[in-house]
Amino acid sequence: MCEPKTCMAFATHLALGTISPDDCPPLLEAGFEKNLERIRELVAPLQSAAETGVKLDESKCTGCGNCVVVCPVDVALEPGTGIGKAAKSDATVFRVENGISKIINLEKCRRFPPDRMNCRVCEQYCCTDAIEIW
Amino acid sequence: MLLVKDFVCNGCSLLCNDVSATIEKNEVSSLGVCKLGHAHLTSAASEAETGIVRRNGEEKRIPIEDAIKETARVLSEGENILVYGWTTASNESIKHGQLLAEELNAHFNTLASLSAYQSMSHELHSMTLAIDLDYIRNNGEFIIYWGCNPAESLHRHPSRFAVLPIGDKLPEGVESRTIGVVDVRETETMKMANHRFKIPIGQDVDLLKALASELKGTSSITEPLFGIPAVEILGLVRAFKKSDCTVIFYGSGLVNSGNAEENLSALLNLIEVLKNDGKEAYALPMFPESNIMGALQETKKQDSQQSILTKIANGEFDTALIVGDDVFSEIPGRAAKALRKSKIVYIGRSGGLTDSIADISIHTTDPIISGASTMIRIDLKKYELVTWNAEVLTIDKVLGKIHELVKK
Repeated sequence: MCEPKTCMAFATHLALGTISPDDCPPLLEAGFEKNLERIRELVAPLQSAAETGVKLDESKCTGCGNCVVVCPVDVALEPGTGIGKAAKSDATVFRVENGISKIINLEKCRRFPPDRMNCRVCEQYCCTDAIEIW
Repeated sequence: MLLVKDFVCNGCSLLCNDVSATIEKNEVSSLGVCKLGHAHLTSAASEAETGIVRRNGEEKRIPIEDAIKETARVLSEGENILVYGWTTASNESIKHGQLLAEELNAHFNTLASLSAYQSMSHELHSMTLAIDLDYIRNNGEFIIYWGCNPAESLHRHPSRFAVLPIGDKLPEGVESRTIGVVDVRETETMKMANHRFKIPIGQDVDLLKALASELKGTSSITEPLFGIPAVEILGLVRAFKKSDCTVIFYGSGLVNSGNAEENLSALLNLIEVLKNDGKEAYALPMFPESNIMGALQETKKQDSQQSILTKIANGEFDTALIVGDDVFSEIPGRAAKALRKSKIVYIGRSGGLTDSIADISIHTTDPIISGASTMIRIDLKKYELVTWNAEVLTIDKVLGKIHELVKK
């Protein structure tokens, strides 16, 4: 019996860093060595990450606030942003100042320890490609 | 004096009211305002109120009061006067403009006739909207941007209302929604979309009809349409079927591509097909001018686009009072060339083609600073603008002075 029960749930835990590829019993079976090795390579950066790279190119930013509203940390810290309102406090990861989004608390990003999550929603929903994650 | 306020931004037709700013000696610091809004507030905060007259290619700055007197003289001498523009002026200014037009026996019209009037007067809306943007935030499950590009013109539309926010029935926000974009080119808005369709100019009606037929089951899409594989169009059809609340935002791409009437009728048909299937479905217009809906709602009688452009192109007006808008950048070339032969008076913020060629320009401060006036958001909700400085020269004050002089 696998734990977590589904492959998708296992993958989610892998991304969260709460589980390792070696915790998957079928992957340890004979014939899956290449797959196991490949998955180990894929998650290795997450396991060793001590910090993240999030770059915001202000020349491309339109201040649309997509990053503010879609960032789970911002929504948790200033719930109004979840329903589309502008971030006003200084607690959030992103805040639009003078028409441009600014990263004001990068250390709160879920890509940082202890979470080390492979979260890229801000990059995904930035229409102007102003946000780049590496 | 340091001023910190929550205010309503009229940088575009979204009239964002969740934003704040500090203005100190014309220096603006804002929170939550998009790039467009911040630039709008910054320039409004340092607007130079001036009067300009141009004769024989020469430009001369004159006191405001002299420019007002000169404007009153020109208007009093005009035989066929057009009072035009208004889509960025406040509701109160629009009302005042109509009173002045009556006094002058002038023809009053607004730039809203070029797009918004076509949309709103169509049976699709019958001059009203069934829902507002807040309803869409809470309920809109399948969002389509058709011929409009909010990422480049109404920056906060997706984050405040339609794509990203959590809603009452959409607890996961964007994860609960499906997004589609139809346009004639690759747009920045497409980056957010699950379904992206780049179609040839003027083919909107064909796609709308194909979707409606497929949804009704009266035809079946098996071949590519404009080079788009059938499987992708069927994916869009499945998204329509899956959604309990579909909202199609459409813009100038649908209205100004030459087939407005046909496009809007096809859109209405698609909405009705969805409703007949027991789903919620709505179409809403998307136009960026800050008070384009106010220009529609506050105007007693609006000419159709064809009617007003024909009158202008035929040279019916010897004098034009243009308020708030850069009319010469908006109207077609033939009409612009004909209007150029008229005596032109411009009242509004500095900048733009109309301001630069007007015989008289009176530069006023935008209502975002003066406040004490109202505008109507793109979904027909009215907002009162906040006052930063009541002493500035506004369109309304200038119209009042001109009106007094014209009466005399």
